[in-house]
Amino acid sequence: MTSPEHDDDAPGRPPLDPAESLRLIEESQQRARAATEPDGRLLYLVWGVAWLVGYLVLWTSTRSNGSAPDGIAFAVFFALLAVAMTITIVHSVVRGAGTRGPGTRAGTMYGWSWCLAFVTYPFIIGGIADAGASDEVIGLVANALACVIVGLMYLAGGTFFCDNRLYVLGLWILLTGGIATVAGMPATYLVMALAGGGGFLVMCGIEVVLVARRRRRGRVPGATAAVGPGADDG
Amino acid sequence: MAELDTVIHAPARLRVVSTLAALPRDDEIVFPRLQQLLDMTAGNLSTHVRKLEDAGYVRVVKGHAGRKPVTYLALTTEGRRAFEDYTTTLTALLKGTGS
Repeated sequence: MTSPEHDDDAPGRPPLDPAESLRLIEESQQRARAATEPDGRLLYLVWGVAWLVGYLVLWTSTRSNGSAPDGIAFAVFFALLAVAMTITIVHSVVRGAGTRGPGTRAGTMYGWSWCLAFVTYPFIIGGIADAGASDEVIGLVANALACVIVGLMYLAGGTFFCDNRLYVLGLWILLTGGIATVAGMPATYLVMALAGGGGFLVMCGIEVVLVARRRRRGRVPGATAAVGPGADDG
Repeated sequence: MAELDTVIHAPARLRVVSTLAALPRDDEIVFPRLQQLLDMTAGNLSTHVRKLEDAGYVRVVKGHAGRKPVTYLALTTEGRRAFEDYTTTLTALLKGTGS
């Protein structure tokens, strides 16, 4: 049935050494996770840059205008968000391709939850604007609502995917929303840029360090790291 | 000394099982994607998958995506348990040789 060149158990092959086995397991699992799970480094980086630059532009514009950012500032802000969103969607779809089952379905539903939350978002902002809210109120509610959505989604993600770092980021973004609202105009945009955008960038930095450490550990022969299903520290 | 499961204890099959075990429980992966992750030829992968399927460790599900036939692979509960036992034995062996 099987040709000898396909058979690892063919006579003459040296038996697999336990340390080598452990190395093969770690290498295969790292590779599988790296290829099928979204890369936090990339996603935190694009969102960190989008928030940091985008909200700084809104802050600068509000400071020079008085009450609210001008059209150009909003155009830059929404363009940055659109780029970040496109990268996130494409990246997640590519990483999830070719798999199906409860885990994949949970990931897809989580992705759709983000989409649905931000589809309702402009209706809420538009609604309070139509009801006569001032530019200041609209700006503050827009920032607070964004932080509540993002913060709660991260808390949910951290809970479902057993990801403590994501959970902490969720708390941080919620806190950012609270402070950004209390800060008032135009400081609200500065809080969003530095605490919000900065928060994503700090997470990006943590991911970079953890991935580098994991790679280094993977190269050590016979490293006594946890192996087996669920031994994921990412 | 505990014996290592010979079905898993071979480089190619160990890589197949480790990769499938890294996926969320009960998730399935299409054959070409697994092949790409493992960097193995289709023939080679098929051979090892068949052995794992015969042992009851891997589930092979044939389906269709539009007109194209698609083969999905996943670790069975038995396969996941065998892999857990394998890593436990392996760790014990390494501790034994290390001390």
